[in-house]
Amino acid sequence: MNSARRIDPVILLALPAVIYLAVVYGVPLLVLLGRSVMVGGLPSLAPFVGFLSDPFSWTVIWNTVRIAALVTLVCLFIGYPTALALARAGGVAQALILVAIILPLSVGVVVKAFAWQIVLRRDGVVSQLMTGLGLWSEPQRLLFTEAGLVIGAANVFVPFMILPIYSVLKLVDPRLGEAAATLGASPLYRFFKVALPLSLPGIVTGVAFVFSMAASMYVIPNLLIGDRFQTLATMTGRSFLFMRNEQLGSTTAVVLLVLTVAVVVGSAALSKRLGGAS
Amino acid sequence: MANGFLSVAGAAKTFGSATVLDGVDLAMSRGEFVSLLGPSGCGKTTLLRIVAGLMAPDQGKVALDGEDITRRPPHKRDVSVVFQSYALFPHLSVAENVAFGLKARGAPPAEIAPAVARFLDLVQMGAYADRSIKALSGGQQQRVAVARALVVGPKLLLLDEPFSALDRKLRETMQIDLKRLLRDVGTTAIFVTHDQDEALTMSDRIAVMYKGRIEQLDVPAEIYRKPATPFALGFVGLSTRLPGTVTQSADGIVVVDTAAGALRARGNFLPGSPVLIGVRPERIVLDHSHANRIEAPLADAAFQGARVQLHFHAPEGAQILVETPSLPAAAGPGTPLKMSWSVEDTLLYPAPEAA
Repeated sequence: MNSARRIDPVILLALPAVIYLAVVYGVPLLVLLGRSVMVGGLPSLAPFVGFLSDPFSWTVIWNTVRIAALVTLVCLFIGYPTALALARAGGVAQALILVAIILPLSVGVVVKAFAWQIVLRRDGVVSQLMTGLGLWSEPQRLLFTEAGLVIGAANVFVPFMILPIYSVLKLVDPRLGEAAATLGASPLYRFFKVALPLSLPGIVTGVAFVFSMAASMYVIPNLLIGDRFQTLATMTGRSFLFMRNEQLGSTTAVVLLVLTVAVVVGSAALSKRLGGAS
Repeated sequence: MANGFLSVAGAAKTFGSATVLDGVDLAMSRGEFVSLLGPSGCGKTTLLRIVAGLMAPDQGKVALDGEDITRRPPHKRDVSVVFQSYALFPHLSVAENVAFGLKARGAPPAEIAPAVARFLDLVQMGAYADRSIKALSGGQQQRVAVARALVVGPKLLLLDEPFSALDRKLRETMQIDLKRLLRDVGTTAIFVTHDQDEALTMSDRIAVMYKGRIEQLDVPAEIYRKPATPFALGFVGLSTRLPGTVTQSADGIVVVDTAAGALRARGNFLPGSPVLIGVRPERIVLDHSHANRIEAPLADAAFQGARVQLHFHAPEGAQILVETPSLPAAAGPGTPLKMSWSVEDTLLYPAPEAA
């Protein structure tokens, strides 16, 4: 090793976190990975071949990706304007919006999911409102449908979209928008050519957060859509908890991991391409 | 001179209880370069933002080229701004920054590239077209910001202290370059600055601003020779200042009793009025050859190359300052020196209210 290359001692401050994660997360992950490629004590790719050649597995993978993508999109479309408003607001308004976003995080996921069960029932608030407004001809049940799942999950995860976008937008010089305006750019042009490209890093972080959480959510689908609808996460849970099939559980968990990492890495690479040097 | 190209009438703006602009009028003709000069907080940047449409005035009107633009949004005004921080788009290259305004206005793509190249050449940044903004020095960024603002052919260019982040040497070069460029392009421009030298060097006319008002609007030489108010006297250039009281007034000449003696000045004040006498330091000679004569002990001499600046011990509230080509022989700290100046060079103001 080159002796001139010294380690910055500040980096050592990350050591406690690294050790902690290595013990409680890294080791079990390695055990899991090991199990997924071991059959009867011998290394084998048979579990993956078997899993991926089953058409039902592909339904489950598609369910996982579709729901996670929908939840991410809903969060992005709701979250981006909120983040923009938050970044522009000042004083009391900003504090109020921040509280409104962060405070619900202190309510457990289970409690929220139960609340959505009430809201999304056939005689729930949404159904009554829609029929009352004449938009629906008769009461409908959103509970135990994919739409209901997406609505409920987006509610839980939207702060994780808003906060990273907000923290990036907050640092964008407001003069940039003014400069664009005086150069003749309409509000819409300013948004798409200035604010949006400059907030891409925040969008990527938000998308990575929400997608990985939505792809791996377990409690929310259980309460809002039930057993009929399987995702990789619920299948992993069932394999370990009910079916006692640790082989299958390890395999689905690894597939989920690969999928999520691929999306997170892919979206970061995409934003680099779109955002150029920033 | 037809002062009709830009006209601001009675512009007023308050933030909470603070009056930032207190009924400002400003008229400019096409192709003119006017500086708004004043200390920070005088309202000059607020006035600039109102003209740009980035802020709405509480009262008053803005008209440009015969059209009332008071309520028109900034992107429909044809008024470009060079910001103090330059506000270049960090995600775009130098050429893309300059092209931004043309693209936003939907210019034909075939026209954009040549226009961008031409304006980058005008600011001597042609070699940097593909660079990232972050790779440029402050002076280079400033040039790009000017090119970006000018390439769209604005009716009016506003510059908000564009040189304040540059070092002195670079600033002086850039001032001359910018003035030449604006003359070549024929742009009407408003230049906001707190630097009197910058304003005197660059402007066709200067508006001296103080506490939300324009105290004086005139050509640089007149601003310097005949400051309209005690503030303009103090803010632009150096001066000898002597407060006093009028004792006689006849035929447009008043006699003022000051701590340094009786002095004459042109003006009409009732006897007993408190006034302020001002004199530019280079108008004073170190003998008694002129009508207004005083004597004061030398405090300090500052050698400045071509001239020597002499500071004198002065009574409370006064200031005596003389600039001469050379220091008189045998004069040291404490030496009393004679000095005089003409009645014509004596500036007279009502005494400023105590701050």
